[in-house]
Amino acid sequence: MATAMAASAAERAVLEEEFRWLLHAEVHAVLRQLQDILKEASLRFTLPGPSTEGPAKQENFILGSCGTDQVKGVLTLQGDALSQADVNLKMPRNNQLLHFAFREDKQWKLQQIQDARNHVSQAIYLLANRDESYQFKTGAEVLKLMDAVMLQLTRARNRLTTPATLTLPEIAASGLTRMFAPTLPSDLLVNVYINLNKLCLTVYQLHTLQPTSTKNFRPAGGAVLHSPGAMFEWGSQRLEVSHVHKVECVIPWLNDALVYFTVSLQLCQQLKDKISVFSSYWSSRPF
Amino acid sequence: MRSALQAVALWGRKAPPHSITAIMITDDQRTIVTGSQEGQLCLWSLSPELKISAKELLFGHSASVTCLARARDFSKQPYVVSAAENGEMCLWDVSSGQCVEKTTLPYRHTAICYYHCSFRMTGEGWLLCCGEYQDVLVLDAGTLAVLHTFSSSQSPDWMKCMCIVHSVRIQEDSLLVVSVTGELKVWDLSSSINSIQEKQDVYEKESKFLDSFNCQTIRFCTYTERLLLVVFSKCWKIYDYCDFSLLWTEVSRDGQFFAGGEVLAAHRILVWTEDGHSYIYQLLNRWAQMGTAFRTFSGLSKCMCPADGGVLKGTVYPHLLCSTSVEENKSLHFVMGYMNERKEPFYKVLFSGEVSGRITLWHIPDVPISKFDGSPREIPITTTWTLQDNFDKHQMVSQSIADHFSGSRDEVGETVTITSSEYVPNLDKLICGCEDGTIFITKALNAAKAGLLEGGSLLKDSPCHTLLRGHRHSVTSLLYPHSLASKLDQSWMVSGDRGSYVILWDIFTEEILHTFFLEAGPVTRLLMSPENLKRSDGQILCCVCGDHSVALLHLEGRRCLLRARKHLFPVRTIRWHPVENFLIVGCTDDSVYIWEIETGTLERHETGERARIILNCGDDAQLVRSEPTLSVASETHKHKSVEQKSSNSHLPGPVPCPGLQLESSCQVADASSVPRPFNVLPVKTKWSHVGFHVLLFDLENLVELLLPTPLSDVDPSGSFYGSDILRRAKSTVEKKTLTIRRNKASCTSLQAEAQAKSSGETLLPGDSTCKFSEESNGIKRQKKMKSSKKARPKPSRKVDASLTIDMAKLFLSCILPWGVDKELDSLCTRHLSILKLQGPVSLGLASNEDLFSLMLPGWDACNTEMKEYSGVNLCSRKVLDLSNKYTTALLNQTGIPRSLENHCDALQQSDAIVYLLSRLFLVNKLVNMPLDLACETDRPFKMESVHNKVRFPGSDILNLSSFYGHLKNGRHECHTPEADLSLLKLISCWRDQSVQVTEAIQAALLAEVQQHMKSLRDTPVRSQPDPVAEHSICERVQTSAKVEQAEELELQCVGTSSPLKTSVSSVKQGNDLNSANFQDTEDILDRCVLEESESAGQPRHRPWIAKVCSCRMC
Repeated sequence: MATAMAASAAERAVLEEEFRWLLHAEVHAVLRQLQDILKEASLRFTLPGPSTEGPAKQENFILGSCGTDQVKGVLTLQGDALSQADVNLKMPRNNQLLHFAFREDKQWKLQQIQDARNHVSQAIYLLANRDESYQFKTGAEVLKLMDAVMLQLTRARNRLTTPATLTLPEIAASGLTRMFAPTLPSDLLVNVYINLNKLCLTVYQLHTLQPTSTKNFRPAGGAVLHSPGAMFEWGSQRLEVSHVHKVECVIPWLNDALVYFTVSLQLCQQLKDKISVFSSYWSSRPF
Repeated sequence: MRSALQAVALWGRKAPPHSITAIMITDDQRTIVTGSQEGQLCLWSLSPELKISAKELLFGHSASVTCLARARDFSKQPYVVSAAENGEMCLWDVSSGQCVEKTTLPYRHTAICYYHCSFRMTGEGWLLCCGEYQDVLVLDAGTLAVLHTFSSSQSPDWMKCMCIVHSVRIQEDSLLVVSVTGELKVWDLSSSINSIQEKQDVYEKESKFLDSFNCQTIRFCTYTERLLLVVFSKCWKIYDYCDFSLLWTEVSRDGQFFAGGEVLAAHRILVWTEDGHSYIYQLLNRWAQMGTAFRTFSGLSKCMCPADGGVLKGTVYPHLLCSTSVEENKSLHFVMGYMNERKEPFYKVLFSGEVSGRITLWHIPDVPISKFDGSPREIPITTTWTLQDNFDKHQMVSQSIADHFSGSRDEVGETVTITSSEYVPNLDKLICGCEDGTIFITKALNAAKAGLLEGGSLLKDSPCHTLLRGHRHSVTSLLYPHSLASKLDQSWMVSGDRGSYVILWDIFTEEILHTFFLEAGPVTRLLMSPENLKRSDGQILCCVCGDHSVALLHLEGRRCLLRARKHLFPVRTIRWHPVENFLIVGCTDDSVYIWEIETGTLERHETGERARIILNCGDDAQLVRSEPTLSVASETHKHKSVEQKSSNSHLPGPVPCPGLQLESSCQVADASSVPRPFNVLPVKTKWSHVGFHVLLFDLENLVELLLPTPLSDVDPSGSFYGSDILRRAKSTVEKKTLTIRRNKASCTSLQAEAQAKSSGETLLPGDSTCKFSEESNGIKRQKKMKSSKKARPKPSRKVDASLTIDMAKLFLSCILPWGVDKELDSLCTRHLSILKLQGPVSLGLASNEDLFSLMLPGWDACNTEMKEYSGVNLCSRKVLDLSNKYTTALLNQTGIPRSLENHCDALQQSDAIVYLLSRLFLVNKLVNMPLDLACETDRPFKMESVHNKVRFPGSDILNLSSFYGHLKNGRHECHTPEADLSLLKLISCWRDQSVQVTEAIQAALLAEVQQHMKSLRDTPVRSQPDPVAEHSICERVQTSAKVEQAEELELQCVGTSSPLKTSVSSVKQGNDLNSANFQDTEDILDRCVLEESESAGQPRHRPWIAKVCSCRMC
């Protein structure tokens, strides 16, 4: 141990110098890089409001699945809101074609996109206060900042990667079912969500369970995608899902955003790791 | 009823880090409340002279605190609500430091407003919250449950800040909210109370885009009822409230970010920045200069026809009057607030909290004016303070547990920093790893004593510590495997260091058994695999390393089984799949890695939804991450279910290793999961090396260990049936939650049974037997343990009596208010042989759910009215009053035979200590009974049938009194039930007056000790050398008639003069006040007395009891 202590005198000086460089130069370089990436990411989420020039641009997505073509949907995304939706449904029994569209005056906020966008702008705001003029004095300070930024980024990413698990009554009660013209028939449920980089539309066909039915009624819990046979109680009726149709479409800019999130999270972690190497120093003295 | 553990904090010299993220001053301007990034709340007392002193640190959140807000009408209940990053919300009583309510919601709040409308609302009012979710949530301020939302019809988004506008003119409250995108929305508050209560949707009344982002604050000018101040990060704006027309925009200069603002007076505003500067502006209004007549006229006209509010445009412009700033070099983040004056003695205060933990106050003059030449005047800082200041000022009391150790180790000269520590309860050893790589092992109790108590002799013989040298870097983690895996050798201890070495030690021979080198950065955490892991060769040690890798080591085989090195992010959770031998590693990026232990290969890597499912499933898997309820609760909890324990022990008990770095801000690495009356809890805070230790005392456990329990071992009749009943009676006392089928009959019978039992027990001849059983207790327990067929030995029972007595003494030393009465102090040290404290100790309370409140060094200097008692270990001034009341209650009992008064010393000591402890336990239990439960106690007997399904609250009291009765009866023969009654009454009274537990305990102790010593004071003086005389006195006391005793007591009462008398009257007053609430409780108690005396009259009324009880058993 004595040799270790003696040898460390010169070594210590070098390490301290290195740590100073890390705090004063390297951290800012990483932060700038982070900021650039996140700005790029936030550009993907176009901000609504009159401050941006004109209304947000509209994008059309055609949703389909590789297997059957029983459901087709054309969804129009305007920023974080669905401004138009056209759903075509071919009923499996009688091949009857049903068509629904959003009412003209209605928009449906995709909360996942909105939340992700807000988390990113929070992260950008956290970084904005720490420009080159700011002097970091301790490693702990950097760690705290990184933790706060990473928390926002993780939340942003998780909002996109983990869609809400809803129960069937929750889907039935959601405003989305009331957005359509003509109104959805009572035996149809619709849900829209983001899963990773994909915009997903699920249509559930229902049939009522007769009160005399011998089937063992067990209400289904929450799930992202319910499977046929899931049962629930709505009003005074007991319903069962008979068919499930899921169609999806990749949103390219969401893919970009997710990549940016992952990259910046890794950047943050790397910076944290670099700082931690010196952690035995920043406890003893501030720089 | 919550069982709370008494805690004593050994802070050390360095204050724990407290990076302030939220700050507020309570309405009475007595307390500053701060929330920190580390998750703790700090209460600072603010003196009338604006002096700050830290008082108490509250542990309740495991993540950074995001906001604080008032949660009641402050004059009625001093409640503050805090919200944390992870959705936890706590409701705190800031006068006592207790957490009243705690909940975790899936919402992260950034701002909370309290709203109460007395004439339209029932209940405690609302907490209006906004944060990282759409719209405004309405929570119930009492229960913290979500009531409803204020929803937006147009473009719902996250809300950033809000304010409640209460306009006297229109008698309608409105809620103004600004969203993250800068949209202002207005909801009607008072008119939508009903709709919210009926869960109807309430949409905004108006909305308007404000053309700026990052809104920080919105404030309504209550003086003019006209202007609206909106602060954005880059500018602040003034709007006309009538039509939301923009009156002025002031853009920030030289890159400053605005952080908030407040309206000081009519046309005078205060705006502050993130770097701690603030500016006071006068809004010059042309109307103001045009004469009052026009102003009143225009004011009227404006409010009546807001359409022409446009007239205001361009008439407001700001003029900088004053500014404040902090010392230069600081460019850290500041949180600020402003407190307006209410009435005379109150100040206008601007306050700020820093990341560094510093609080700064500015006293804003009533009329801020600029300098004569018109340039802004600088307002000086009034006060500034940090936690560390408290520690520096009161350093001598902030002893660390290792100080005596480092003091004795003079070869290095400087104090060592302890980087990790572990408490081994079985051996009562504290293992501490130091920064320089040494590990020392010491007796925890001795270390604590040396740190806290006076007495040089103790210091000299205490360094019986062991020193282990082997690490070259600072020791980062320690583990005593035997406490987690009973099969492993008792002498083994594992330590990991910063240099990635893991050493297996034999702590008895002090030698290194093996050294592992992991090459993976600092060893941050050491864990044991659960016992049910299907492996032939026993349990595995799991090392979590700094480079995010995990290594599995086999200790017996001295080999490394697996290196899991693929993790990109720090490890958060570790789970074991017992059947298939998988190691499941959860990382902070929410991804999951599944490793096969046998082959060492990565089986699967999952992210997102699937990862979550994997981590959530497999309930039999071992959970490593911190469970909030784990550390303190499990201890008492396991203790409660003694009978179920044998079955419990087969389950994989959760390993007490709370959170890896990111997860919990405050790592409470609790030392044991076995019930122990005394425990040492090393606490480490996030982002720093500063740690401290908390000593935990479980009163209940202590009492139980010390008392010769009248369970089966001291049962004279030997009737299995009776003892069974008694055990049950006792367990109900402990369990608190009573079974559903309980009703009055069974309850009283139980109680009577207990009574019968204990009175039967009093047949035991005299005190010497008590003493004997006391001494033999430990042995008996051990024997019992050995003879029991349970597979695992219960280490809790392996407590030797002298150690327990030592613990009890330390506890009494910590609680006793030393210095109130010098004579009493010396009497205590002489006759109870407890040692005096070095100074006021930092007491605390640890209640069930990981909730701690710990006093900070120098807390005694907080109370200004306690000036004369500074340096005295006194909770509050109230204690003295309370103890006087307690004394009177004691005196009211005619003829209390203090049978422990007159024995030879050794016997008397332990007896007295046991007696004191049992008293304190009773007080603790009574005061801790939650208020709602207590309130219900007036009903239970009237609705017996109804209560069949509900928990039976009243029986708590019954059980308590019976338990207490048996405590007493177990020790001392003749006993008058009225004595307990008046005390019970008094203490229940305290509970209703929300007296703190610690206060109550201290008061009771003081009174009891005074009472106890009073007799001692007389006897030794008169007849110290003469045992015969002593004996005669003893006889006299014991046989003296009640009248005599009463006379004597009265005399004493006169001797102690007037304060006592006044306290008598105040007791009466208190009783009167509470009489409404109390009468029924009294009723119950009366009944209980009746039953008690009844059963005492016929102690063996077995057939009757058997009848009742057989019904119960069916």
